[in-house]
Amino acid sequence: MSRKGVGIAAFDRSRITSRQFASHGSSLRATNAQALETQLAVFRSLLQQFAQTHAKDIRSDPSFRAQFARMCSAIGVDPLASSNNHSSGSGNSVWAQLLGKTVNDFYFELAVRIVEVCGATRAENGGLIGLSELRERVSKGRMEGADSISDDDVRRAVETLKPLGSYAVVTVGRKEYVRSVPRELSTDQAAVVEAAQVLGYVSVGMLRDNLGWDEARCKTVIDDLMAGGMLWVDKQTKGEWEYWSPGVMADAGTDGEAGV
Amino acid sequence: MATTTTSPPPQSQSQPSSPSFPFPREYFFPAFFTRQTNITIHHAQLTKWSALILAYARHHRLFRITISAAAESDLFFNRGIDRRLNPPDIREVLDFMRKDGRAEFLRPGEGNGAADASSSAAASGGDVVFLYWRKPEEWAALVEAFVEETAQKGSVLTVYELTEGENTRGTEFHGMDNQVLMKALNILVKRGKAQIFGSEDSLGVKFF
Repeated sequence: MSRKGVGIAAFDRSRITSRQFASHGSSLRATNAQALETQLAVFRSLLQQFAQTHAKDIRSDPSFRAQFARMCSAIGVDPLASSNNHSSGSGNSVWAQLLGKTVNDFYFELAVRIVEVCGATRAENGGLIGLSELRERVSKGRMEGADSISDDDVRRAVETLKPLGSYAVVTVGRKEYVRSVPRELSTDQAAVVEAAQVLGYVSVGMLRDNLGWDEARCKTVIDDLMAGGMLWVDKQTKGEWEYWSPGVMADAGTDGEAGV
Repeated sequence: MATTTTSPPPQSQSQPSSPSFPFPREYFFPAFFTRQTNITIHHAQLTKWSALILAYARHHRLFRITISAAAESDLFFNRGIDRRLNPPDIREVLDFMRKDGRAEFLRPGEGNGAADASSSAAASGGDVVFLYWRKPEEWAALVEAFVEETAQKGSVLTVYELTEGENTRGTEFHGMDNQVLMKALNILVKRGKAQIFGSEDSLGVKFF
């Protein structure tokens, strides 16, 4: 391009060039999109092939399954979405199409076990159970020789329960929980549950000193959590009452037994 | 099956000598020893205590406990974490078990336990409690099966033979509490499957 044009024609010229740029751009975009689409299609079929050849591994190896699931979600394929319209239309999930139902069933069966365990323990933990504890309990109830389960599987299975409304994975502090009651923790409650993870218990004084809350606030939150069944009171302390997270019951066994 | 270590005479209670009982996790949870105020939790707590007591009794083949003595035993007193279930709470758990047919309060003055325990015994403060890790009906079925298997229908066995005899060694009711056995036998009597005769210290049973 030579020097900058002068005069009225310059306006026209710039308009033309910008139009050309625009059309060129959009054609580039189109080809890009097309290339991506074919890439995705290729990838999808490769994924399908991969899943078919490795179906057994996916089913039997929890970490492999987790990796595969992560890969699927990375490219925007939700392996568990129950109706995927642009593929064969029969309303099956990708998992189901890829693997002939079994993996899908795997998660649904797992979900059923999760509902059972949550129901059985709800009375003692108020419907808030540690993810790994839940996994442990579910694994314990499974038949000898059944495939092992990872935390990731539990997470995915809980995800399938979402339509039921009350089931969700929540993170409090550094720990993941599965919540099986339609109750959200308030910020204060979450803070107390988080504090209870550290020592296993909380007390009014402890909360007052560490969170800087006044006594009434501490009491209210503790009472709320007690009412919800998420804390157990221990009155046999030398000083003030301690409120224990029932999750401790799950971990206490191993190191506690040695001491007796 | 519970290996029948040379079980002490049936009236012994608490402080057993069998290998240590594997306590469940909740036994190491301090708050497990405080009566919970939330109703749902309290129910879960009672259920867990009930299961613990029965498992413990089964492990040590305890047929009865004396509440005041048991309160000091490791069943209700975890010295490791210095927590104990107080007698009123123990009583509540046992009463919970009674409603489930898993415990029965010995009525003060109840002699050779043929009589059914009154449901008010819990309140009236009996100190001795039968623990039914097997209910009397279940014991009755075991005895009946034993008699059937060993072809002793129609013959007479003494109560002593049933609990202490060579022939019953290896059966579950060998060495069992006499009073609980009598409850079981009385069930068989009611069903017309057995007849008890003899005097206090030499009771005999005939099975049909």
